[in-house]
Amino acid sequence: MKSRYKLFFMLGICLLLTQMTYAQFTATGTIFDASTGDLLVGANVFHPETSQGTTTDANGKFSIELPGQSATVRISYIGYVPRNVTINASSATNLRIELTSDVANLEEVVVTGLASTVKRSNLANSVSSVSADQLLGGSPTQTISSNLYGKVTGAEISANSGAPGGGISIRLRGVTSINGSSQPLYIVDGVYYNNDAIETGSNAVTAAAAAGSTTKQENPVNRIADLNPEDIESIEILKGASAAAIYGQRASGGVVIIQTKRGTPGTPQFSLSQRVGVTTISNKIGTRDFDADEAEAAFGPNGRTLYEEAAAANRFIDYEEQLYGQEGLLAKTSLSTSFGNENTSLFISGSLQDDEGIVENTGYERQSIRANLDHQFSPKLNVALSSNYVHSDASRGLFNNDNTGNTFGVAMTATPNFIDLRPDASGNYPDHPFNSSNQLQTRDLFSDSEKVDRVTTSVQANYNILQNPSNFLRLRFVGGIDFYSQNNKLIFPSELQFERISGSPGTLIETATDNLNTNTSTILIHTFIPSNNVTLTSQAGYTSFNNDQNSILSIANNVLGTQTNLDQAIELNVDQTRVFQRDRGFFLQEEVNLRDTYIITAGIRADKSDRNGDVDKFYFYPKASVAWNMSNENFWGIDEISNLKLRAAFGQTGNLSTFGAKFTSLQPSNIAGLGGVLLTSTRGVEDLKPERQTEIEAGFDASLRSGFASLEVTAYHKEIQDMLLQRELEPSTGFDFESFNAGSMWNRGVEVGLNLKPLNTRRFQWTSSINFWKNWSKVTDLPVPAFDVSGGGFGTSLGIYRIEEGESATQIVGSDPQLDDNGSLALDPNGNPIIITKKLGDGEADFQMSLSNNLRLFRNLNLNFILHWKQGGDNINLTQLLYDLNGTTADYDDTDLDIADFRLQAAGLTGDETNAQKRLSLLGISANHFVQDASYLRMREIGLYYDVPLDFLADFGVGMRKVRVGASATNLFTITPYDSYDPEVSNFGNQPIGRGVDVSPFPASKQFYLHLNIDF
Amino acid sequence: MKRFKITTLFVLFTCSMLLWSTGCDILNVDDRPDPNNTELSAVLANPNQANLNTLVGGLTSGLRTDISLWYINHGMIGREMYRFLSAEPRNTGDLLGKANAQLDPGSFYTTRPWSTYYANIRMSNILIQAATSSQTLSSEDANGVLGVAKTLKAYQYLLALNLTNENGIRQQVSDDINAVGDPLSKEQGFDLIAGLLDEAVADLNNAGNTFFFTLPSGFTGFDTPAGFLQFNRALRARVAAYMEDWPTALTALEGSFLDETGSLGTGVYHDFTTNPNDQVNPVFADPDAGSGDSWVAHPSFVTDAEAGDTRIDEKVQLRSSTASLDGLTSDYGLAVYDSQTAPIPIIRNAELLLLRAEALAQRNGAGDLDDAEADINVVRNAAGLGNFNSGGDQAAIIDEMLNQRRYELYFEGHRWVDMRRYNRLDQLPLDRDGDNVWVSFPISEAENL
Repeated sequence: MKSRYKLFFMLGICLLLTQMTYAQFTATGTIFDASTGDLLVGANVFHPETSQGTTTDANGKFSIELPGQSATVRISYIGYVPRNVTINASSATNLRIELTSDVANLEEVVVTGLASTVKRSNLANSVSSVSADQLLGGSPTQTISSNLYGKVTGAEISANSGAPGGGISIRLRGVTSINGSSQPLYIVDGVYYNNDAIETGSNAVTAAAAAGSTTKQENPVNRIADLNPEDIESIEILKGASAAAIYGQRASGGVVIIQTKRGTPGTPQFSLSQRVGVTTISNKIGTRDFDADEAEAAFGPNGRTLYEEAAAANRFIDYEEQLYGQEGLLAKTSLSTSFGNENTSLFISGSLQDDEGIVENTGYERQSIRANLDHQFSPKLNVALSSNYVHSDASRGLFNNDNTGNTFGVAMTATPNFIDLRPDASGNYPDHPFNSSNQLQTRDLFSDSEKVDRVTTSVQANYNILQNPSNFLRLRFVGGIDFYSQNNKLIFPSELQFERISGSPGTLIETATDNLNTNTSTILIHTFIPSNNVTLTSQAGYTSFNNDQNSILSIANNVLGTQTNLDQAIELNVDQTRVFQRDRGFFLQEEVNLRDTYIITAGIRADKSDRNGDVDKFYFYPKASVAWNMSNENFWGIDEISNLKLRAAFGQTGNLSTFGAKFTSLQPSNIAGLGGVLLTSTRGVEDLKPERQTEIEAGFDASLRSGFASLEVTAYHKEIQDMLLQRELEPSTGFDFESFNAGSMWNRGVEVGLNLKPLNTRRFQWTSSINFWKNWSKVTDLPVPAFDVSGGGFGTSLGIYRIEEGESATQIVGSDPQLDDNGSLALDPNGNPIIITKKLGDGEADFQMSLSNNLRLFRNLNLNFILHWKQGGDNINLTQLLYDLNGTTADYDDTDLDIADFRLQAAGLTGDETNAQKRLSLLGISANHFVQDASYLRMREIGLYYDVPLDFLADFGVGMRKVRVGASATNLFTITPYDSYDPEVSNFGNQPIGRGVDVSPFPASKQFYLHLNIDF
Repeated sequence: MKRFKITTLFVLFTCSMLLWSTGCDILNVDDRPDPNNTELSAVLANPNQANLNTLVGGLTSGLRTDISLWYINHGMIGREMYRFLSAEPRNTGDLLGKANAQLDPGSFYTTRPWSTYYANIRMSNILIQAATSSQTLSSEDANGVLGVAKTLKAYQYLLALNLTNENGIRQQVSDDINAVGDPLSKEQGFDLIAGLLDEAVADLNNAGNTFFFTLPSGFTGFDTPAGFLQFNRALRARVAAYMEDWPTALTALEGSFLDETGSLGTGVYHDFTTNPNDQVNPVFADPDAGSGDSWVAHPSFVTDAEAGDTRIDEKVQLRSSTASLDGLTSDYGLAVYDSQTAPIPIIRNAELLLLRAEALAQRNGAGDLDDAEADINVVRNAAGLGNFNSGGDQAAIIDEMLNQRRYELYFEGHRWVDMRRYNRLDQLPLDRDGDNVWVSFPISEAENL
C-alpha cells in the first residue's frame, strides 16, 4: 500500500510539472463599472478550465496566468452581470473590461433548497435576498433580525421591547400558526440554528403569570441574536410553503437561509472595523404635573405631605431621566481575514461588542470568533467547514407585567415626580412610599445576567461521482451541530424594599439550559443535459434532525447574607424541563429547464417526527412550480424590457405541535413534606399530527434594459389546515387546555418590490428600492367556539386576541356597550347598559412600506437610508392603564380625549371629564380605548460614509485597499399616533398571534454611531 | 484506485456522520413518554398503594392552588379587606363593583378558582377510578380512598358553588376526561354536594382503623377513617346550614369534632412550608407593606368592633402609613396569617360552634335559644368579651351569631356568604359612589354555558 501512495505522489508531481511546462501567458487588465467608469475592487477573474482565479486589487487591476494562446475567463462581481471574456495571448495586457450593473440581481444565485441553487432569473418564487452590504450598509443593530427591517417584503418584524440583546419576532406572510411557532426556521451554513427563547425565571419575583394570564412574561431573547451580523455574506428568505416545501414539517413559518463569509484565494486580506456610538431613549411619555389636592386625591394624605415637601424645596424629579436617561456607550470591534490558494481558503473573523443600555446596569456584550475553511481535496471532492463560537452576556433589567410592583416599569407607573427615591449620602435608598419596590434601588442593587456560550459547526461536502458533458452526478453531505449553554442568573439581595418585607428575604434565580441540535442531510443530485436546450436536475435526499434541551430552573429564597450561590439559601425550589425531538425525512425533486425559458420543478418531501401522535407515520409535502421567461422567447420583441418572467408556485409544509401536547400528565407536588402528583392543566391528545400549510403564489418580474428599473410583483394565498389549536376546554372537565388539529384559515397578500436607478452617472449614482406588502387573514373554519389566545391579553375587559370563525386571525376583542338597531346605546330592562364582547381592532398592519435609498456622490460619499412605514395594526396599551390607575399619566388632567357618545353614556360621563377620568370610568365597560393604532413611520437606518481616496493615503505611504469613515443612526425618528413608549412591543414575547400587548416594557432606544472600516 | 479510495472514504465518512448524529437510528423515531412528568395512563395502569399515595398527596396539595383568589374574592366582596395591587386594577374595580364594572366571566378572579376546583374534582375522580379498579387494594383500603376522595370532591364543589351561587355549577363526568357534564342549579348543586358527603360516610365506616395512605400534617387528628369522618360531618353541617336544613346540620355536628371546651382552632388546615416545591401561604403579607401590593383591612372591621375584642389586635395591625389605591384607604394591615408558613383553616371548631348556635337559633325549639347563646358565648369569651344576653330574642341571637362569625372567622372566606344567606348584602358598607356588592360570580367563560 505504501509504495502505491508513493507512486501516486510521484505521478501527481509529474502531472503538475507537465502542466507547468504548457505554454502560457499572463493577462493583465482593469475592470470598470460600465456606466460610471468606477474601478471595481475585488472583482473575480476566473478561468474554469484550470480553476485558476484572482481578484482585482485596490486599483481595479488583475493579473492572471492563462494557458495556451487563447483563453476564456469569467469576470464577475457582486451586483453586476457577469461576462465571459476571451483573451488572446497577443493582446493580453492592459485590458479594459466593463461590467454592467445588475439592478434586478438577475444573475444572483439563490439558495432555494437543501442542495440546490437557482439563478434569480430562473426562480419561480419570490425569494428575498439580503446581501452583507444591504444588511449593514445603513446603520447597525445588535442582532441580524433587527437589521432586516424594511428589507424583506412580506416580513413583519417586531421588537418585543427595547431591552439590549435582542428579542425580535419575524413573521413571514402573516400568522402561520395559532399555537405552534410562527417563527421561521433558520439555517446557517447548513446548521439548523436554534432560535428558542428561554425564559429567564423572573416570574418567581414578578408573579406576572399569577393572575390575569398564566403565560410567562419574562422578556426572553430568541437565540438568533447570537449570530454576529458582520459574519454574514447573504441571507435568503423563503417566505411560504411554495418556496419552502422541501424543508417539510419545520418550514411553515418560512426559512431563513444564512451563509457566512468564506475565504477567497489570494494573499491574506484583512478588514478591520471599529464603531463607537451612543444610545438614548427614543421617546419619553412624560408624567403628570400635580398640585397638592391632586396629590392627595391620588395618593392619600401622605401624597399631600410629600407633595408639599417637594414644592417647598422645588424638588420635582424626572424619573424617566433617572431610570431611562443613560446615554449608553456602544462599541464594537471586528477583525477578519481571508486568504487561500487554489485548493484551500480560510476566513477567520473575530468581534468584540460591548453595548450599554439606556438603563444603568443594562447592556449587551458579545464576543464571537469564526473560522470557515474550504478545501478541495481533489477535483471531485470539496469540503467546507464552518465553525463559530460565541459568548454573550446580556443584562436586560426587570420589565413587563408583574403582579407585585417589583419591575422597573410597573414601579415607574406608581412614581409621581414629587417623591424622592434617590439614595442618601451614605447610599441608603428610601422606601417607595406608593409602591412595593424602589426602582432606583432595584436597578442599582439587583443583578441580572444572561450568559450564553454557543458553538456551531458544520461540514458541507460535495463529491462528484460522475462528470461528463451530459451527465453530472454529485453526492452532497451536510452535517451540523449547534450547541449552547445558557445561564440566566437573577440576584435580588435581601435589602431590596420588597425582599426585606417578604417572609424569605433575598432571592436567587438561576436557569441553566443546555441545548443541542444536530442535523444531517445526504443528497444525490443528478444533472442530465440531453441537448443544449434541456437541463434536467434530479435530487433525492435523506435528512435527520435531533434536538435535546434540558433546562433547570432553581429558585432560592431566604438567602444568607450577601451570598449568591444557590446553596447559600434556606429555601430552594428546582424545576427541570427536558424537551426532545427526533425528525426523519426524505425528499425527491425534479427540475426541468428548457432554454432558460421554461423552468418547471416538482418535488415531494416525506417527514415523520416524535412530536406527532403516530411517530411512525410519514406525512407528505408536495411542491410544484413553473417559471416562464417570456423575454427569452424568440417572439419577444420589446427591446426596452430585457426581462419579463411569469411565475407560479405551489407547495405544502407542516408545523409540529409544541412539546408535550400529546401527554396527559401529573406534575410533582409537595405539601409539608408529603410528595404527590397533581394534574397539569393540559389534556393530552394522542392523535396529534402536523398542521399543514398549502401555499400558491404567482407573480411576475420585469426589468428594463436600460437598468433604470425592475419590478417584482407577487400575490399569494396560503391556507393552513388541520390547525394545531390549543383550545380552552370547559374547565369543569378538570383541564383548561388541549391541543388539537382542527379548522382552517388563510393568509392572502401582495408583495411589490420596485428597484430604481434614477441616476447613474460617473459622479452621482442613486439607487432606490420601494417595497410594499400587505397581508389579510381569515379564520375560515373553527369547529369549536371562539376562544381567547392564551398569552394574547388579560381578559376581555382589557382587550384580548380572539380566534373566531369568519374573522381575522389577529382580531382584538374586548368589552364594549351593546348598540341597538338605531346605533344608540342598548339598555337592559333596568336601564343599565348591556356590556358585550366585540371586535375592537386588529393586530395586523393594513400594509407596510419601505423606501431604501443609496446615494453615491463624487464616487466617495455614500448616503444610505431606510424609511419604514407600517400603517395600521393595533396594540393593547395597558401601560397607559397602569399610569392612569396610579394617577400619574402625563395627560391625566387634559380633556382632549375623544370617546364615542354611547360609551360616555354607558359610563355615565358627560364628556367634559379629564382624560384619565374618562378612561378609568370606562374600565369594565369598554376596552376600546386600550386598543390603539400602532402605525408608525420610522427612519430605520441612515448612514453617511466616506471612502478616503486611496491615492491620498498612498501619499502618506499607507497601502490600503479601502478606508471608509462614516456616521450613522438607527431608529433616528419615529412618527406614531401610539400613546406609549413604542409601537413595537410584546409583553408576551414571540407569540404567534398575541403581539402588541404593551405592559410597562423596556423603552425603545435610538443609536448613533461613528464608523471606521479599513481593508488592507 | 485512488478514485475508488476517495469515494470509499467519503461514503464511509458520510455514513459514520449519519450514524453518529442520528444515534444509530436512521429511520426510526422512538415514541418516548413524557420526560418531565408522570403520565396519567401510567398511574391508571397500575393503581397500587404507592400510586394512590402520591395521588392523595397531589390532591391535598392541589386544594391550595390559587387559594389566594378565593380569599380575595370573598374578602373584598364581603368588605372584609382590600388588596391594593397597583398592577391589577380589577381587584378594586371589578370586585368592588366600581361604577358600571361587571364581574367578567373571562377574568382571572372567575376562571382560575373555577379551574382549580374542577382540577381537584378530577383528581378525586381519578382516585375513585383507581381505587375502584385496583386489583391489589383490599376493600377496606379502597373504601378509605373513596371516603377521602368523595369528601374532598364535595368540598371543592362547595367552594365553586359558594362563588357562583345563583348561577349554579356543572357536574363533572366522573369516568371520562373528555366528556362535559350537565349544568346544575344552585339547589341541584347543594344536593350533589350533600349526597357525596353522605356517600363518603359509608365508605369511611368500612375503611378499617387506619388509612394506608398519608395525609398531610394539616389533617393531624383527622387522618384515620374515624377522624376523617368527623371532618366530613363538619363539612356536612356547613352545607346543611347553607341549605337551611337545620335538623341535618345539628345531626351532622354531633358526628363532627365540635368541642365547646376545646380550642377554637382545632380543625383541618392547609399546610404551607418553604420546603422545595412546596407552597407558602399566599395570603400572608407584611401588614405594613408599602403600596404596590398591600393587603389591608376594611376600615369598618376596626370601627365596628366591640371594645375589648382581642381579635382586633390578632387579626389586623395598625400601619405606619395609610395605604390607598383607587379612591380607597385603610390604616390597618391584615395580620390574620402571621407568617408565610401559617396554616389556613379548611374548617375549625369555632365555625362548628357558631354553626350549632345558628342551627339551634333557627330551630328555636325548647331551650334552643339558650343553648345557642351558650355556644356564642364560648366564642365571645375566648375573644375577651363578656357574655352576650339576648333576652330570648331569636333575631338578636342571629345578629350576634353573624357578628361573631364576622370577627371570629375574619378573612376565612365566610362574611360574603353569610350576608348573602341572610339577604343582608345591602348592609355591607360601600366605599365609593357607584360601588356594588355582587351576589354571584358568573360561570367561567370557557364553559360556554
